[in-house]
Amino acid sequence: MYYIKAISTISFQDSFECDNLYDSLKGINSKSELIKPNYKEFISPLALRRLSPILRMGLTNSLDCQKQLDEEIDAVIVGTGLGCLKDTEKFLLNFNTAMSDLLSPTSFIQSTHNTIGGQISLAMKNHGYNMTHTQNNVSFELSLLDGMMCLKEGKSNVLIGAADEFIPFLNELQPELISDKYPLTSSSAFFIFSNDIVESRIGIKNVHVSFDTEDIDGEINNFLAQNKLNNSDIDLILHSDVNSKLIEENSNNLNYLEFTGINFSASAVATHIAHDYLKGSNKKHVLIVNGMLKSGLGLILIAKSEA
Amino acid sequence: MKIFVTGYGLISAIGEGEESLSAFKAMRTGIANGDTESTKAYKLGVVKMSNEELRTKYALHNSGSRTAILGMVAAKKAFEGHKIIKGVKTGLISGTSVGGMDLTEKEHKKYIDGQMISPSAYADHSSGVSSHGIARELGISDFVNTISTACSSANNAIMMGARMIKNGILDRVVVGGTDSLTLFTMNGFRSLMINDSEWCRPFDNSRQGLNLGEGAGFIVLESEKSIAKTNKDPIVELKGWGSTSDAHHQTASSENGYGAQLAMKEALGIANLKPADIDYINAHGTATPNNDLSESHAIKAVFGSSIPAFSSTKAFTGHTLAASGGIEVVFSIMAIKKGLLLPNLNFSTPIEETKLTPQLTYEEGRKINNVLSNSFGFGGNCSSIILGK
Repeated sequence: MYYIKAISTISFQDSFECDNLYDSLKGINSKSELIKPNYKEFISPLALRRLSPILRMGLTNSLDCQKQLDEEIDAVIVGTGLGCLKDTEKFLLNFNTAMSDLLSPTSFIQSTHNTIGGQISLAMKNHGYNMTHTQNNVSFELSLLDGMMCLKEGKSNVLIGAADEFIPFLNELQPELISDKYPLTSSSAFFIFSNDIVESRIGIKNVHVSFDTEDIDGEINNFLAQNKLNNSDIDLILHSDVNSKLIEENSNNLNYLEFTGINFSASAVATHIAHDYLKGSNKKHVLIVNGMLKSGLGLILIAKSEA
Repeated sequence: MKIFVTGYGLISAIGEGEESLSAFKAMRTGIANGDTESTKAYKLGVVKMSNEELRTKYALHNSGSRTAILGMVAAKKAFEGHKIIKGVKTGLISGTSVGGMDLTEKEHKKYIDGQMISPSAYADHSSGVSSHGIARELGISDFVNTISTACSSANNAIMMGARMIKNGILDRVVVGGTDSLTLFTMNGFRSLMINDSEWCRPFDNSRQGLNLGEGAGFIVLESEKSIAKTNKDPIVELKGWGSTSDAHHQTASSENGYGAQLAMKEALGIANLKPADIDYINAHGTATPNNDLSESHAIKAVFGSSIPAFSSTKAFTGHTLAASGGIEVVFSIMAIKKGLLLPNLNFSTPIEETKLTPQLTYEEGRKINNVLSNSFGFGGNCSSIILGK
């Protein structure tokens, strides 16, 4: 088990500094908005002005996690599906239209995917392991795999999160490239994982990714069998609107896109939802099935260990 | 558990694979002024084949962004003679920073100019899509991942692959990096004023900045267990890796190269080697005033008074960003295999503060047991790997 020592989420739910995200879930619609925490509590107003939403969210969530932990963090691992879109778009517009000598480097500097992790390490003055994974919808799952390796390799407190930001341009790509069944959103969720048991006894038991999978139910069954579980042992399945007989057969299944909207970091928010579901109950297992794209399937098993 | 390299491939402005050696030997750079209106002011390391020429020459089945196509060429070469075998869990991890930006920036320009959007033109934008395309070209479906830590991406992808083998998640993994030239990065480095309009001069006191390049480099890593099934010959061993954060500034490196020192020391620790065991360093050496000074300080701090032969090969290839670690790991493998020291082009005067002179000539017949290869990126990502006999 890789125990969850701290959680912080910014999303379209009331997820920041909340008591129980699962209990407070509300369906979102096209009018819903990203919550606005008091960023100034975490970031200086001067720095805040320069930071795009994805950087504000990622940095704030990370600093919030650190605040909850009060111990040294020895690895920073960030997943992002599409990275810093706002600064990317800004720089594209800039060099294509601005007078060529008046090009500001700020949006270029902040356009690379690892700006999130870089800003976190800078703010924390952290010289440890720092990694950025980007593999579309399974970027968070791959970050978790990396973090689990870090804990096996002897690191103690590993900060892992995923963030993606919405820009209006994405609407132009619907429905050809992106489903328009749910609103396009932004979200960021960060966690500190550790080998040490925590009071809640909640952690990640296992993670699996597969690619170009034809047989989703087969993958889920294998994953459950690997973890010595049956579908009936799973108390809740959180899924990204996945068509699956196995998911249907589990009476307690929830399509998390109704609460997170569509972005490639939504399974990180689902992990927070799963954690809070277990926290408020005597249930033991939640399975997250992230099949937002056909190209990548992510499975996360979240569990509460025996007392 | 030992991890071996059983294949390698690269493409850059100085050619593919072993072709690069003739450029080193002749001290011939692959960098020249761009040949279009928007690139003619830049000195660039261009791969002199169009996407279609590359696809035809290397018989590629898949297509995609230029980043993906360059990656397919290098990864396919690395994977040549390898087969997908049941029971050998095989993955692909690619480092890239621009992904499909070469396509996006063209399409977005049309959008800015008021033309209709064609959504499918953006389908290859995501970095993950380029890696998945490379994996599909190789027939790899067990595992795909993309590392994006700016210029250290490929080194970090190599390290990630090694750790995944060590942790028993994969048996064999194709790792490296790819990046194509884009107006986005050309304008980006120009806005930072670290582009040199002259030929770049790594580790020289007069250095003004970098020349951008494009290309890809990939290697195949295998565990002993995997080799028992694939029967491939180990070429070299991947002995050590280290990845740290400089945590100094969003783009600049700290003056003493603290993050770089940590990365090199970590790699030596994992390799269980002493600094004196390193025979050649393929330095990051971008030729920006900041990087080369910082890296020189870091090398001095780690190696003390007995600094091994070191050079930056970027005055030949240009700085290929996320691909640089992948291309340079292949150079490092060739250095070990053939006993080479690779030259540092365009050097005349040591940096005043650090007074280090890099390897200036191409030398054959040396005994090269261990090579350290550095890659450092924006955001403070520092990554070092060690390969050896």
